Amino acid sequence: MDERVFTITVGGRAGEGVKKAAQVIAHIFCAAGWNVCQADDYQSLIRGGHNFSTVSTSQTPVYCAHQNHDLLICFDQRSIDKHLKRLKDGALLFYNSDEAQCEQGIPIPMNSLMKKHYHGASNVSLAALAIFAALAGMTQEQLQEQIVQQYRRDIEENTAYAMEIYGMVSQRCDYGLDWSVNKPFHFVSGIQAIILGASKAGLDFFYGYPMTPASSLLHYAALKQESLNLFAIHAESELAAINMALGSAMAGCRTAVGSSGGGFALMQEGFSAAGMVEAPLLCILSSRPGPATGASTYTAQEDLFFALHQGHGEFGRVVASPDSNNRALSLSAELLALAWELQIPTILLTEKHLSEGMADIGMNHPELPEAKELPGTAGASYQRYAATPNGVSPLVFPGHKCAPDTVVKWTTLEHLENGVRSDSAADIKAMKDKRGIKAKAIQEACKRYQTTAEYGEGELLVFAYGSTVLELREAQKYSQRPFKIIAPIYLEPFPHEKLEQYRGKEVVVVEHSQSGLFAQFLKIKLDVQVKHLINKYDGRAFDPIELAKQIEELQDA
Amino acid sequence: MRDINTDKENTWCSGCGNFGILNAFKKSVAMMVEAGISLDDIVMTCGIGCHGKIFDYLNMSGMYGLHGRALASAQGIKLANPDLKVICFGGDGDSLGEGLEHTLFAAKRNMDITLILHNNGTYGLTTGQFSPLSPRGYKGLSTPKGSIETPFRPIPLLLEAGATFIARSYSARLDHLAHTIQRAVNHKGFSIVEVLQPCVTYYNTYSLYNKMVKELEIVPYNRNLALQLATAEEAFYIGVFLEETKPVYHEELYGSHNPAMDRKASAERVI
Ligand SMILES: Cc1ncc(C[n+]2csc(CCOP(=O)(O)OP(=O)(O)O)c2C)c(N)n1
Ligand code: SF4
Repeated sequence: MDERVFTITVGGRAGEGVKKAAQVIAHIFCAAGWNVCQADDYQSLIRGGHNFSTVSTSQTPVYCAHQNHDLLICFDQRSIDKHLKRLKDGALLFYNSDEAQCEQGIPIPMNSLMKKHYHGASNVSLAALAIFAALAGMTQEQLQEQIVQQYRRDIEENTAYAMEIYGMVSQRCDYGLDWSVNKPFHFVSGIQAIILGASKAGLDFFYGYPMTPASSLLHYAALKQESLNLFAIHAESELAAINMALGSAMAGCRTAVGSSGGGFALMQEGFSAAGMVEAPLLCILSSRPGPATGASTYTAQEDLFFALHQGHGEFGRVVASPDSNNRALSLSAELLALAWELQIPTILLTEKHLSEGMADIGMNHPELPEAKELPGTAGASYQRYAATPNGVSPLVFPGHKCAPDTVVKWTTLEHLENGVRSDSAADIKAMKDKRGIKAKAIQEACKRYQTTAEYGEGELLVFAYGSTVLELREAQKYSQRPFKIIAPIYLEPFPHEKLEQYRGKEVVVVEHSQSGLFAQFLKIKLDVQVKHLINKYDGRAFDPIELAKQIEELQDA
Repeated sequence: MRDINTDKENTWCSGCGNFGILNAFKKSVAMMVEAGISLDDIVMTCGIGCHGKIFDYLNMSGMYGLHGRALASAQGIKLANPDLKVICFGGDGDSLGEGLEHTLFAAKRNMDITLILHNNGTYGLTTGQFSPLSPRGYKGLSTPKGSIETPFRPIPLLLEAGATFIARSYSARLDHLAHTIQRAVNHKGFSIVEVLQPCVTYYNTYSLYNKMVKELEIVPYNRNLALQLATAEEAFYIGVFLEETKPVYHEELYGSHNPAMDRKASAERVI
């Protein structure tokens, strides 16, 4: 099979449909049975600036977008200036000659042609699709079909515009696309996969407040409300979101909240409340560079310890981070199920790269767990915080239809088994012990799932987590020096049973944090010797080929 | 009706207005049960403060929430199971200071729940600091020279925010308070009962209220009059100031669906 990876990038200003053009191209490759990754690089603005979207695709697996282009389509000068140096040998450049000048590449007067074909709002995004269609050898009918399916509005004007540009492109790229394949695909972002997984596990409510790159949790849940049987509530703040979620959980609904660092910080007290009232709650943290408002639309892994230590006070939790879009789907279901099984808050830690990065998760999903409570017996003797051998108390929900003659008291103050407050020394200790013994149950329950992943073989041991694993897997294809990727998926409780074999070993750590948080974490957990830390903290993902070179060049590792 | 008392030792100061609220609430619960509401369907939340202790003195379901967040949790409960009558007990610090946003938004949404606002004009539990409802000049540990802030006026505030049932009562008028609470809970939409609640230890307002409190005979026929009466200085009027019908949030969201009762199992969910 042809192992080449083709990278196609569309660049322009915000509002020009850069992402849309890339997505349509991505879908065309998906339908032809290819592997596709799409990454969108955009700024925190609505109009202007510089946005670009990259599609890397191959007949063999591809794990993340590359940063050197085989085909570059630029709607403006800034896109050329920024990306020209990243053209591969033999790459093609098309640009909007009404806006930009360039000594190389093929000029297309995209603006003048828009004036000619559109009466109202025009759509330069169609130019990119038309150029690609011509290059890839699509017929006019195939192009027309894409326009109708993907753009829906202004079909006539879009078609006229696209067809004229299509006719101007005489170059051809032999990708080797087989048009007869027509493979069903499910091309989703990490965030979409998270919502899908949680929905399958039983999610009833998502409470949130917009904050990039976590906003699409709210958007996608709202968009799919009917088909996914859930409700998305845009609350007045993150404080509201998590405290509303606690209420819904108490009344029997599976709930999740999510935000990026700032909003997650506001949810800290509510997170602790979940620990105290023993609320089952899935919390999604999608990181961007911080501190504070930081860089809203870029990627980072600087919230590792923040996630591990979320909230004040002592209580159990699970923290895990998906290493692919497929894993985002299954992990989200697992974390909602674990939350309910153990009545604890769980955290799905991810980052902008995976949250917004698109990939085909396929049509056949693995068996996903369901979020179920340990059911209690209704009646006068019910006690919300009844002591049990593993610390998990049976649950019933209030209301005469759910639990007649039953008092269900959830309490953020320290309490007795019946939920009534107490601050006697003996009661404080007893209830802390009750919550404390859950630790063992948490550890055992997590073992049911895949807690770590390893990719490739080699003497060199490279540790990473989250979407950095995708960058490494892609790099692995290009590195002359073989290496083994070791990726903890579950971070808390730490999967010692799987990773003790690496105790004290010399390792390389790759991550997106300035101070090497993950390296520090591994030192604490496994006493590894971090010979090399490859860390990138400029908000951007690694280019896999550059990452491969960095690994090859490591001295004495 | 089963006994709704608990054996938890009561630690309110002797003479505290909270006793009146507790007794009136018990009476209104009895009336609700008599009217056919199941005791199991009455669920409370409360914030942190002297007011919140009411949670422990009532053998009823609910969530003893975080300081300021009880009204957010109350909304979460209602959204999950709209069959429940959700009643939130809030202090003035709790509901108009730390958690002001939730109070305004619950009203804005016309969420079908009830807020019982314990207005004692002070932060009782944390030793009497000034609250959002303390008058100018109020002296507490954090304002030794007297508060330099003008207090909120809860009724105009909530009226503007969108509450559809607004009432005031007094903790020392047991029957009036019990009936007002019952009416508030029966109201479909966001209802608030501001309860004038003397704090004998830090802000004893009994003689002031006993002198000034006057019952309204009828609901004012328009909003202007309601505002005028609610902010009058010649008397502290108690009674219902506003009673309106507006669509409620959960019905706008999902009609007659009940998320907690109509849950779909994983096998029925398609992704
Ligand atoms: C987040 C948080 N901040 C502060 C406190 C401390 N605290 C407890 S009660 C209270 C104020 C209580 O005043 P109010 O809500 O008016 O209730 P009251 O005691 O007067 O009934 C404060 C500040 C807390 N528990 N949580
Ligand atoms: S401090 Fe005030 S509000 Fe608190 S119990 Fe005592 S009298 Fe009541």
